[in-house]
Amino acid sequence: MEEIKKGGIFTISELQNVRINIGEIIEEEEEWEPMGPHPMPRIATLRDWDFKLLNRYKPFYAPLCDMCCLCTYGKCDLTGNKKGACGIRMDAQQGRIVLLACLIGCSAHCAHGRHLLHDMIKKFGRDVPIDFGPEVNIEAPLTRLVCGIKPKTIGDYDKVLSYVEEQIVQLADALHTGQEGSHLDFESKALHMGMLDSLSKEAADIIQIACYHMPTSYEGGGPDVPMVDVGMGTIDTTKPVVLVIGHNVPPAADIGAYLVENGLDDKVELGGICCTSIDTTRVYSKAKLVSALGRQLRVLRAGIADVVVIDEQCIRADVLELCQHTQSPIIATNDKAMHGLVDRTDDDPDKIVNDLVSGRVPGVAILEPDQVGEVSVRTALEVDKKRKGLSFILSDDEFKRYVNDCIQCGSCTLACPNGLRIGEANKSAAAGNIKPLADLFDICVGCGRCEQVCKKHIPIVDVVTKAAYPEVKEEKGKMRVGRGPVWDSEIREVGAPLVLGTIPGIIAPIGCGNYPNGTKEVQLIVKEFAERNYIVTLTGCMAIDCALWKDEEGKTVYEQHHGRFDAGGVLNIGSCVSNAHIHGAAIKVAGIFAGRPLRGNYEEIADYIVSRVGACGVAWGAMSQKAASIATGFNRLGVPAVVGPHGVKYRRAFMSRPDRKEDWTLIDATDGSKVYVEPGPQDLLVACETVEEALPMMAKLCIRPSDTDRGRSIKLTHYIDLSLKYLNIYPPDWHLFVRAASDLPIAMRNELLKKLEDEQGWKIDWKMKKIVEGPIRAYNPSFNPTNLERLIRRKK
Amino acid sequence: MYSYEDAGGDKMGMEIPFDVANVPGPETGRIAPPEVIGSYISSAKKPLLVVGSELLWADFFLDIAIEIGKKGIPIAATGHSIKGFVEKEYTENVTYYNLHGLTNCLRDPNWKGLDGGGNYDFVIFYGILYYYASQMLSCIKNFATEPLMRAVSIDRYYHPNARMSFTNISPRMEAEYKDMLRKLVVSIKR
Repeated sequence: MEEIKKGGIFTISELQNVRINIGEIIEEEEEWEPMGPHPMPRIATLRDWDFKLLNRYKPFYAPLCDMCCLCTYGKCDLTGNKKGACGIRMDAQQGRIVLLACLIGCSAHCAHGRHLLHDMIKKFGRDVPIDFGPEVNIEAPLTRLVCGIKPKTIGDYDKVLSYVEEQIVQLADALHTGQEGSHLDFESKALHMGMLDSLSKEAADIIQIACYHMPTSYEGGGPDVPMVDVGMGTIDTTKPVVLVIGHNVPPAADIGAYLVENGLDDKVELGGICCTSIDTTRVYSKAKLVSALGRQLRVLRAGIADVVVIDEQCIRADVLELCQHTQSPIIATNDKAMHGLVDRTDDDPDKIVNDLVSGRVPGVAILEPDQVGEVSVRTALEVDKKRKGLSFILSDDEFKRYVNDCIQCGSCTLACPNGLRIGEANKSAAAGNIKPLADLFDICVGCGRCEQVCKKHIPIVDVVTKAAYPEVKEEKGKMRVGRGPVWDSEIREVGAPLVLGTIPGIIAPIGCGNYPNGTKEVQLIVKEFAERNYIVTLTGCMAIDCALWKDEEGKTVYEQHHGRFDAGGVLNIGSCVSNAHIHGAAIKVAGIFAGRPLRGNYEEIADYIVSRVGACGVAWGAMSQKAASIATGFNRLGVPAVVGPHGVKYRRAFMSRPDRKEDWTLIDATDGSKVYVEPGPQDLLVACETVEEALPMMAKLCIRPSDTDRGRSIKLTHYIDLSLKYLNIYPPDWHLFVRAASDLPIAMRNELLKKLEDEQGWKIDWKMKKIVEGPIRAYNPSFNPTNLERLIRRKK
Repeated sequence: MYSYEDAGGDKMGMEIPFDVANVPGPETGRIAPPEVIGSYISSAKKPLLVVGSELLWADFFLDIAIEIGKKGIPIAATGHSIKGFVEKEYTENVTYYNLHGLTNCLRDPNWKGLDGGGNYDFVIFYGILYYYASQMLSCIKNFATEPLMRAVSIDRYYHPNARMSFTNISPRMEAEYKDMLRKLVVSIKR
């Protein structure tokens, strides 16, 4: 029966030469919603939607390299938009590289999801229910929207991931020499890849939530998730320490389970770096977040780990070398990152532990997550004894010698991604003032490039850590545990205020730690918007980094603000894969608040979101290819993103031209009339040079054509106020967003009307306090904006 | 004279970019002294000074921008550099613009410019975060080609994506850099 359930081949013995082949068994599906127009879209299915976006937000390219080196015709010089030997122009080549980045990012998330599914089916079976409690009925918004599937068990994700995998292969094919030649089609494919990336993330997080009972809407979940410790000072190094790094939680979950089962949870520290650490705290309450990605090198160099367990993604490529230096055995648990270690899966744990403790091998690979807990913990218990007394923080004498050795040649500065003036700081330290060096600790992105070019062989990273060590060892913050999906009941409460604009927006800090000026700016972004009653939803490194900073009362932003998806909330949604729930929240607004059908209906929902849901992502330290595909996925769904200055190295941005009237014409779905509208959102992907510039930019990118006058006045209040606060000016374009006097902030109405009259030449009826002439359009509360002609209800 | 003498810049007769691996391709900018860059700027029909947040490092740098502005060259203040101009009460021909958005306009020959009179034929980058400026200069080099837009940098970094640039200047050479900027301002004839 089992075989028949899964499909397969069987023979009936009485009938000679008869063999019956049963393919997939399709069970009768529950009638939950009529299928929409685009289930499981292929490469070109949503191309029309993409081209609508690309027409308004024309791709902008800033090549990082003027050559193409991908085939043996090359190298080809494409400078000045020349063609290469294959005929590709510079602009198409940039689109191709962007697609490649999104391909890598999406593959990481999809492969992570597939890996999880494989391991979880093996451990728990296919029938683990997807049940997120009484407050979450739309359990998988992206899966419903893209695939038209309402998943009931984790086994249903087999089909979803197969769809993504097939699309990835088709899109990878388009990268080959002699395939696509249009930059716009490359971008459409990148947008498709971004959508697949968001779907893959949702799949991965739903699978792990379902199997590990991570927080949902059952008791203790959602806004009520507990706080966990964050920071390099949270680990008790007098105990054995296991440190997990990466993104795939099953090995770490097994370590937590082993500690509990063996009564060791108070005797051994389990800490983590990056998303694995976020997800570990969702399954094991005593886990600690040592740091985000940006401090990986420094945490490893500090030697706090007795055993390092790596899984996948965002692991330093030199992790083995670093661990050998600190005499910390390493266990690789994923076939995508084995670092040359011998595969000891299924080997006798006693032998493995013995080999690791004795130092006969620097590490091993164990590819079955359920075998990792015992080996890692037993090894840590033994290695801890051997490592007692070792210190990897420089002594005072070593520190003095190194800072005096520095000849201020500037080589480190030229090698530093942030161009830090390390030599000057060394000089100052040599003269007795270590503060400039200590201040570099947070701004440093922790890459270590400086050390390789130092002519005096100074271990610069260690020198900076030493300078900052008095603060670093006391670094202890608090962060909410990742809560997973936003509840349907929360969406019911805030759907109207979000669409009408009275909650000014959702700000979603996401992604990596390649910040231009340290982690403090992350806290500033969160604080500024939460205090202004935006909803701040964090994931990944930014969720960790903002917890490192405290206010005067010693509280982090998580402790200062509630965790509800509501005005003023600061929510940790979870790890990088969890940011699919931010897409999910926007989709649910369309589904729950507006009653739009979700099933296989991506285009309509993206059209709804781009014109009505004031949300803006911010990847202030975006670094990886995953961040590229994440942002591109947000963009296809109509959610803009601001990146930090390093983000310009992604080569491509999506920015509109507010001065091009023809790009800003929408359709009023009520009667089909064409309406010239204000530029909201003005850009889909844009970089800011400084955080002072980014804050008003984010507020601006939350403005939508559907805002009510009250909502618009609230959004304008914040846009103008942030601009005055951080740029010392009224935004030069604030008038573009004014449709009527009622759009203006009440407290500033007269002043702003005067400015409109004096500076823009608008006609004002001062008796009535009304705008007579000037705005792009008049405020129309029944305006029903769309980009899709098929949604016109009744043509004029 | 002005380069990081120990960083290896002149060993092969080539300057190294401030971010050492930022080697774009066959076409890289020429290093020039302030008088030559000033003269080059003077040849522009419609130049634009694009400044960034590093201008706020010291009053001197802001004053140099204002002096150039007073020669009739309009200023696009990017990042949060506009703050400095407001504090100095010099805002006459200064406009805030996001650098990404500005470069998006500069690459379009049909852009009307900050004054509504048309796009620029020459841009001067000054006081901008190195890697951000480098990428925007790359866009101009590769896509603002018909008609050709000329771009120079007067920052303390060698910018290979600019047509002309100063060399890398060590913080120890701050006085020399200031002197270069003074000479540049003098040599701009309008």
